[in-house]
Formats: sequence, C-alpha cells, structure tokens
Amino acid sequence: MSDSHPPIRVPVGPPGAGRSRGDDEARHAAQARPAITPPIDIHEGPDGLTLEADLPGANESNLTIQLEHNVLTLDARIDEPDADPARLIHQEFPIGDYHRSFILSDDVDRDRITAELKDGVLKVFLPRTDRVRARRVEIKS
Amino acid sequence: MAGPDWSGGWDPFHEFQREMGRLFQSFDPFRALRHVRAFPPLNLATTGAEFVLSAQIPGMDPGEVELTVTPETLTLRGERRRPVGVKDDSYRRQERFMGRWSRTITLPDRVDEARVTAQFADGVLTVRLPRAEGARPRQIALTAPGSGSPPIDIGEEGGRP
Repeated sequence: MSDSHPPIRVPVGPPGAGRSRGDDEARHAAQARPAITPPIDIHEGPDGLTLEADLPGANESNLTIQLEHNVLTLDARIDEPDADPARLIHQEFPIGDYHRSFILSDDVDRDRITAELKDGVLKVFLPRTDRVRARRVEIKS
Repeated sequence: MAGPDWSGGWDPFHEFQREMGRLFQSFDPFRALRHVRAFPPLNLATTGAEFVLSAQIPGMDPGEVELTVTPETLTLRGERRRPVGVKDDSYRRQERFMGRWSRTITLPDRVDEARVTAQFADGVLTVRLPRAEGARPRQIALTAPGSGSPPIDIGEEGGRP
C-alpha cells in the first residue's frame, strides 16, 4: 500500500475551466457508462458549511468543480484501467462518471469557496457571507 | 403548520435535480442497489493467472485497513470515522457510510497467499491474488487396475444401493 499523501487543492472554476465544454457535451450525448450520484455529507460550522463527497477513483486530473451562477457542479470522469485485460466475475460497484449539482443560496460567499481532495474524498468549504454572520449576531442578542 | 420550516437551522443548500437527469439515471442498473449495498463495495476480476479485487474505501488511511488472506478467503476490516470536532446535530445531510466495517469473500479458486500484493490510490484498494500452482488446470494421469494403485471409482453407480 502507498503512503498517504497530502490533500490536493482543487480550484473551483467558472464553466469551461479545466476542460473544454464541447468535449463534455459530446461525452454526455454518448452516455456509454452510468452516471453515478456520489453520497455526500453536509455539516454546518460557525463560518459556513462543509460538504464531503465520496468519489473513489477521482483525482486532481479527472475532477472538475464548477460554479455557474448559483449552481455548484461536481464532475469526475473515471476511466477503467484499459491496460488491464482482467475480466469481471463479480461486480458490486459500477465504473462510471460522478456527477452531482447543488444550488447555493446568496448566504454562501461564492468568491471564497475552497475545495480539496484526498484519498477519494472531496471536501468543499462554503463560507457564509459576512452579511449573514452579522445578521445572525443581531438575532442572538 | 404553514410557512417554511426553520427548525433545521441554516440551510442555504438545495439539490439541483432536473427531470432530464432523472431520466438518464433510470438507465443506471445499479441505482436500486445503491442504498442497500454492503460497505465497502467489491469488484472481483480475473486475468486467468490471478484474481484482482477492487474495494472502494474512500477516506480510509491505508495503514488502518486490515487485510487478511488465506488460500480460499479474503477479509478486509476497518473503521470509517467522522471528522473530529463535528457534532452530530450540525449535520444537514448524512449519506456516507460511517462506522466499523468488515467484508469476507470466498475466492473462486485457491490463491498463493504469500504472493498477494495490495495498493491503495484515490480511495480504491486493489489486491492482486495470484492463483496457487495446484489450483491451475493440469493433466491427471489415470492408472489402470493391476498396476499397483487402487482402481478409480467414478462414483456414479457406486453411491446407490
């Protein structure tokens, strides 16, 4: 087994960042493999929300996180190891691409969203805007 | 009671689901199994000379995964823990499996446990299990009666009274 490695910072880009858009659409049209909805957890901290998604097989080069208007989209294209002529004899998980989208409200500070990927788990931090934090303090007192 | 339900706390987060997306998902043959499957899900492949087991264990520290192999079985064991310092009531959504897990599978054929190798990358554990020498198909010489060895009982008729 390999040693654990430090998390990879994943840039959260505008649409089209990372790879070409037209290429993407051609792939979706083909629909050769299942699109997998990864399981997620969301928990709330004092400064915002943390989203964690299980994306086994995803890495820096095949994962894209896009923010288009108020929609955050996770996409990972997982390739089968084609150098391996192994024949599947028992299958419990499909090999396919991950895809999931979320609508963010205005309470999320979109300019400060950060993401990191480690050992197949993506962690996205969605900070609360200062405006919301200030308003919250008012309500409490 | 009418009006929005605020009891869940701050939740500015709504899942984006289009009908088109649902339509495509209905072609996913694994969709029905997604919520009942065991953790971790395992795939087993063979190249003829070896078996290749893949297990999806995202977020696991490979040093904390216990892998045991006998000539006939493989066992994986570990525990997935929630991040430290996050309280249960701060969760808005929980879909990922957490807790102790263990899987044991019986291999289709005997393997040479001394030559088993394992590697972990991007949350996927891959175990390569070479088949045992004796488990590979081989020619068996038949001995005729009278040559010193007992006759070979085919067993088809002999089992009945």
